Amino acid sequence: MRRALSLVRRRLLGAIPVLALVIVGTFTLLEFAPGDAVDAYLGATGGDRGLVDQLRRDWGLDQGPLQRLGLYVAALARLDLGWSVAFSKPVLTVILERLPNTLLLMGAAIALAFGLGSLLGVVAGSRPGSATDRALSIGSLALYAIPGFWLGLVLIIVFAVQLRWLPSGGIETIASGLGGLARAGDIARHLVLPVSALGLLYLALYLRMMRTSMAEVWRQDFARAALARGVPRRRVLWRHVARNALLPLVTMLGLQAATMLGGSVVIESVFAVPGLGRLAHEAVAQRDTPLLLGIILVGALVVILVNLAVDVAYAALDPRVGSGKETAA
Amino acid sequence: MSGLSRFRGSADGIAGAAVLALLAIVAIAAPVLSPGDPLNIVGAPLTRPFEAWATPLGTDRLGRDVLAMIVHGARTSLTVGLAAALVAIAVGSAVGTLAGLMGGWIDEALMRVTEAFQTVPGFLLALAFVSTVGPSLAAIVVAIALGAWTGPARLVRAEVLSIRERDFVASARVIGMHPLAIAWREVLPHALPPVVALASVIVAGAILTEAALSFLGLGDPNRATWGGLIAEGRSVLRSAPFLSIWPGLALVVTVLGVHLTGEGVVAALALRRSQA
Amino acid sequence: MARFDVFAARGMSRRTVLGAGGLAAASALLPAGALAQQSPRSGGRLIVAADSEPRNLNPAIVASNGVFFVSSKVVEPLAEADFGTPDGLAPRLALSWTGSADGRSATFTLRPNVTWHDGKPFTSADVAFSAMEVWKKLQNLGRVVFADLESVDTPDPLTAVFRFAKPTPFQLIRNALPALTAVLPKHLYEGTDINANKANAAPVGTGPFRWGESRPGEYTRLVRNPSYWSAGQPYLDEIVYRVLPDRAAASGALEAGEIQLAAFSMVPLADLARIAKVPGLDVITRGYEALTYQLVVEVNHRKPELADVRVRRAISHAIDRDFVARTIFVGFAATSSGPVPRNDPQFYDAAAQVPAFDPARANALLDEAGFKRGANGMRFKLRLLPAPFFNETRQFGAYLRQALAAVGIEADLVNNDSAAHTKAVYTDRAFDLAVGSPVYRGDPAISTTILVQGGLPPGVPFSNQGGYQSATMDALIAKAATTIDEAQRTALYREFQQLVVTDLPLINVAEWGFTSVASNKLRNVTSNPRWAVSNWADVWLAP
Repeated sequence: MRRALSLVRRRLLGAIPVLALVIVGTFTLLEFAPGDAVDAYLGATGGDRGLVDQLRRDWGLDQGPLQRLGLYVAALARLDLGWSVAFSKPVLTVILERLPNTLLLMGAAIALAFGLGSLLGVVAGSRPGSATDRALSIGSLALYAIPGFWLGLVLIIVFAVQLRWLPSGGIETIASGLGGLARAGDIARHLVLPVSALGLLYLALYLRMMRTSMAEVWRQDFARAALARGVPRRRVLWRHVARNALLPLVTMLGLQAATMLGGSVVIESVFAVPGLGRLAHEAVAQRDTPLLLGIILVGALVVILVNLAVDVAYAALDPRVGSGKETAA
Repeated sequence: MSGLSRFRGSADGIAGAAVLALLAIVAIAAPVLSPGDPLNIVGAPLTRPFEAWATPLGTDRLGRDVLAMIVHGARTSLTVGLAAALVAIAVGSAVGTLAGLMGGWIDEALMRVTEAFQTVPGFLLALAFVSTVGPSLAAIVVAIALGAWTGPARLVRAEVLSIRERDFVASARVIGMHPLAIAWREVLPHALPPVVALASVIVAGAILTEAALSFLGLGDPNRATWGGLIAEGRSVLRSAPFLSIWPGLALVVTVLGVHLTGEGVVAALALRRSQA
Repeated sequence: MARFDVFAARGMSRRTVLGAGGLAAASALLPAGALAQQSPRSGGRLIVAADSEPRNLNPAIVASNGVFFVSSKVVEPLAEADFGTPDGLAPRLALSWTGSADGRSATFTLRPNVTWHDGKPFTSADVAFSAMEVWKKLQNLGRVVFADLESVDTPDPLTAVFRFAKPTPFQLIRNALPALTAVLPKHLYEGTDINANKANAAPVGTGPFRWGESRPGEYTRLVRNPSYWSAGQPYLDEIVYRVLPDRAAASGALEAGEIQLAAFSMVPLADLARIAKVPGLDVITRGYEALTYQLVVEVNHRKPELADVRVRRAISHAIDRDFVARTIFVGFAATSSGPVPRNDPQFYDAAAQVPAFDPARANALLDEAGFKRGANGMRFKLRLLPAPFFNETRQFGAYLRQALAAVGIEADLVNNDSAAHTKAVYTDRAFDLAVGSPVYRGDPAISTTILVQGGLPPGVPFSNQGGYQSATMDALIAKAATTIDEAQRTALYREFQQLVVTDLPLINVAEWGFTSVASNKLRNVTSNPRWAVSNWADVWLAP
């Protein structure tokens, strides 16, 4: 427990310079973007010179970039993420409205990919070279090659439009007035397609990793020894091989958190899920610097926290970690 | 040599390499296979596949030849995929080698930067970058590389750290070789093989990212791209699904080819390593 | 990608089309059922697709279609566009309007017994406050049209008299009523920072629907106003705007029965032929007659090659407008003959015709101008920036690139998102040709003359970004702006059209309205020429 706590503390402290770099980097990138929030706004409405100047003043865009970065960081120190000009609301409010949807989508996709992926990986890896293994291997490779947005389109056509089994988009039935379990069920129905589109690619990834990882473990001495000792194959498979083969997958889980958050940008726009990914897309389109900075900051925090959770889980799974040598980075 | 024979022994690798070779030929010979600007309007709009000789895979909303666009799209996809992977691996290897060899605060600083890039979702970064710089082939390559260099960087650094203490590096140091020369001649060649194995993943990722960017309307408008074709076809997905299906299939086949080749390479390298 | 926000928002206007045929494919697809008269039935929830969520829903500040689409149900203007009346207007908050002969005043008689959604009475004080403090000072379009408004007198609670510092044509004021005169409750806005008022996000008005709630990224809900001034109306219990940012999603949601209406061509044009055959769904083109958008090639006159009128004529000759209307717009557009759309009965001049499709003539003109073809067959190179606002603007960009190549002009396409496009074209002027989609707002003075008027500052969207300078043009525009007599004024704008097609400060290509796809249970979906952005008090759902 103590070890876990010190790991958490160390990681969070280490995250501070990383986040600082992220803020400065994103801010600089957006500084170079042609057009600011006022240009984006006027692209939609039109207006005269007086309006242009007034908006720039109102939105604080008449100051220099360094001044604005300074103000932003000063506000951040007070845990104030700033004001979103695109939504006329505090950035934190806008983000918190969307964050749960993305976490739900990502969480479910990770659960699907990791759970089903590693399970199928065990099936494939239990007898390397068997027909099942070949089939799963080729199937997963094909799945791994399908772009998520394209899969999403196909799923919509088949399951929402043709078969009408599932809704074509959104996060829940709008203004349904449902509550409790009924609402949860409704949200779950809406999530089936986007979660599949986002998760299947990673499912293939975990399946393949598990399979490879198992193949390696099979070759290791302790597995061979166990078999030689006459321990039933099934028992060796689950107790020794699968458990040990799972470790690299756990590491991968952390590494994939950021990728999945990126992937949700496209999936959220295909399925009209009001999440963080789509919000980021809107923030870029509207040149809403404080909002995009806030999203990237929150996204980075999510990634850092997921990695932390992964490390803690790893430590729990593998007693060797954290005691003596800690691998850097 | 044993590596190559191992690759030859891998059916996956052979199949993948064959697919890639075919695609490369198509990409290189595109101007011969379908001369002229592939974005030219050549026929009636929304001709179905196999209906007209001149446009065997049909035409899009404006009457542009789908086959010509797919053939030229192979050029864009492969160019972007390879270029982005090259840039990412080059930058990543340089950063990784530097960090691994130098150690100390340089290592610390480089790894913090790497971590910063890793915590920001790569696709988000690419999206913001292309919106900022404007969609062009070079911008897309850089945008994809921005999110992909961290993998090779960490891998190379880890390899360098493990190689650094080995005998041949130590002896090079003893005879007074310049650290950069050591890195170039002794360390990098040993650290690179695992990166080569990672290359297929990076290339595949780059091709998919380019497609996703084009799908969101951030592709180079002067070139035919598969992602752009899918997006174009999306609005008529139900009345003319072939418009999105052809380029989608092309994407799947290409990425599959890259992955299969990667498998073969991994198999070959695994053998070499186990023999080393 | 906020397409709706972008186009929608370009504002609008009233226009009178009295069975004028309208745009190309108009009534062809209109189902008989939609017009059938039945007695309206109360109740029901209407779910419509929305492809963006405007940040500011105050129609008095942001006069744009994206805002009106939602807020026109809550906040009403003085008058609405109408198919049947002589001046093309139907009363809303005003019952009648008259202009003085000298153009210095306009008098409005207001509707009695109207209350705001919070129960307070609506009076002329609200109109005076909205005009002086909001339309004139803050509104994107009102800042132009009401620039000379000096004061609004309120002799009694139901009379408002607008007084102008300079003669202002009443024809222009009338044409501006539907889009520019949304009335705000003075008691909620007075003494506050109007731009930051909370009612901008949750509007309060006199309309048939009250603000319900908004879940960003999901939906906006409006609920029935039981004390609406028109007894018995509205018929619907509520309207829900479901956010579907992706256009392909709208047809899926319609077919799955999740929504009952996709307005503003949210279903892609190329998909309409198919969806028209889906049982239970109708494709409707009426109801947009006063919302005409124009496809225009914007020319940067600072580029030496383009400063030569022969080159601009050659470009016009290079464009096959029939192809554009037939293929890019799938027939849901008309070719343009000049800067005023064909379906405008007040100002359109059929004698003004842009140089028509004739590549041979284009080549000859370019040769004559001294731009010979080089070794690669090209004469010179241009940057071409299609606006990202519509699919069609981008597709036309792709077509134009090829059309120009055919006459030896090499065009390099540059695709930007909305912010970058606005900045590149209107502030930096970093373009040679651009493809734009200005809105014709029923009167050239509202937003058309500004496209070619000289001496305007940079950075202002949808004003003369090409840097065209012509003393003749400027004099003509200035004269028309102060001409009170309607016949004279109309004649001046005909002259204006002649000048535009001769000198080609910009090149008009096509003009289009929108289409709606609606459930056949939805009734009264085309009841006025601005239907999608009108109040929907008479809309009802059949069982």
